[in-house]
Amino acid sequence: MVSKRFIAKRLLLLVPVLFGVSTFVFAILHLSGGDPARIIAGQRASEEVVRQVRQDLGLNDPILVQYGRFLVDVVQFDFGNSYQVSKGNPVRQVLIARLPVTIELALYGQFIGLALGLPLGILSAIKQDSLLDHTTRIGALAGISVPIYWSGPLLILFFSGYLGIFPAAGRIGSTIFLDNSWTLLGMELPLTGMVTIDTLLLGRPVAWLSAVSHLFLPAITIGVYSMALVSRMMRSSMLEVIRQDYMRTARAKGQGAKITVMKHGFRNAMIPVITVVGIQFGTLLGGAVLTETVFGIGGIGTLIVSAINATDYPVVQGAVLTFALLFTLVNLGVDITYSYLDPRIQQ
Amino acid sequence: MDAEATVGERVRAYAWPRAKLVGGAVAVGAVVGAALLAALVVAGGWAVVGAAQFAFALGTLAFGLGLLGWSGSAMAGRGFENMQEHLDTNTDWTEADSRRAMARVGGFGGGAMLATGVVEFVALGV
Repeated sequence: MVSKRFIAKRLLLLVPVLFGVSTFVFAILHLSGGDPARIIAGQRASEEVVRQVRQDLGLNDPILVQYGRFLVDVVQFDFGNSYQVSKGNPVRQVLIARLPVTIELALYGQFIGLALGLPLGILSAIKQDSLLDHTTRIGALAGISVPIYWSGPLLILFFSGYLGIFPAAGRIGSTIFLDNSWTLLGMELPLTGMVTIDTLLLGRPVAWLSAVSHLFLPAITIGVYSMALVSRMMRSSMLEVIRQDYMRTARAKGQGAKITVMKHGFRNAMIPVITVVGIQFGTLLGGAVLTETVFGIGGIGTLIVSAINATDYPVVQGAVLTFALLFTLVNLGVDITYSYLDPRIQQ
Repeated sequence: MDAEATVGERVRAYAWPRAKLVGGAVAVGAVVGAALLAALVVAGGWAVVGAAQFAFALGTLAFGLGLLGWSGSAMAGRGFENMQEHLDTNTDWTEADSRRAMARVGGFGGGAMLATGVVEFVALGV
């Protein structure tokens, strides 16, 4: 049982993290140059118009006032309107539309990382110094070392260009169109924005297959790094656990090797692995920026790249803070899982 | 800590070293922020408001980095320690050291923000 006090303490930690990220973003945007008033008014606008826009935006106020106003807006998740990328639309709306795409990609990447990394790590530990162990170690090293901007195009070349079994870009077939809502017990409900779930909700298996096949290569690209790290951690942690007295006792009492490993070893070996899953979720989100760009997926990653290129500051602020919020929430979930597996952490 | 220590003594023992660490960094940050401002105005020929805004932004950079580093260490530091231990990449990095260092960086930035913010307010006559 996880105590409420523990959860409250971890929730409180979210405040300085998000405050820190907001302050950092504010600083970078104020030091990076470029006049937001000029960007909004346009390059051909007169000085008079630019001055008016500056006044409207409050850029003539003391910087302490601007900072305070920025923090108040951030607390309400209000970043104003986009300057360029989605001109005139509220940044919050743009983020809400793109967020499910990135979450879907990150979740599938994480799933692949865990689904492959955990068994490989366990097998590596049980069969230490065997051919399987060495192969897994080399695979893990390659997974950690190969950058996404190289592995992504390679996968596209092989699976899409050479074998032709997976599509190279996009989220779903170009001839498939999805409705905006689905019906449950006569009620019309909005879709999630995650195509693999939406196609199921709409009861369209062919569209679902198309969505899964489109997501396969990006998810593998992003999940390989996660898999490599998880398998290395699992191996190391499992090696430590299988040498413990309680494991030997379980075997001495006649329990089978597989059951001992899975029943007594797995849960204890998972404790350090869980913490790594939380930490590398940040890497996964960073990887999403590159993966989305390589595979032409319109999530928050591509949004950040477009916004930086167009000096669309509100969108950059909003996207960075959204990533920070996601990362901290995942870590909160990890902490809760961690304290469930090892209740001593709560003390 | 003595088991018979009063609540006040316990609070003092807890708060004093931390206040000294952050307070020292704030003071240094304020002096450096003011010095940077003076240097920009006198040697660089900047307008007071522009220089104050630039110095303030630099202060927020340090403050944001410090705050993010401090809270990040508190939140995920244990995981990093674990990871280093299990992957045999021990660098002697510890959560506690990181929090102390980041508190100093954040305090420094906060001091610079305070000093330059006040100067700008005075210069604008707000």
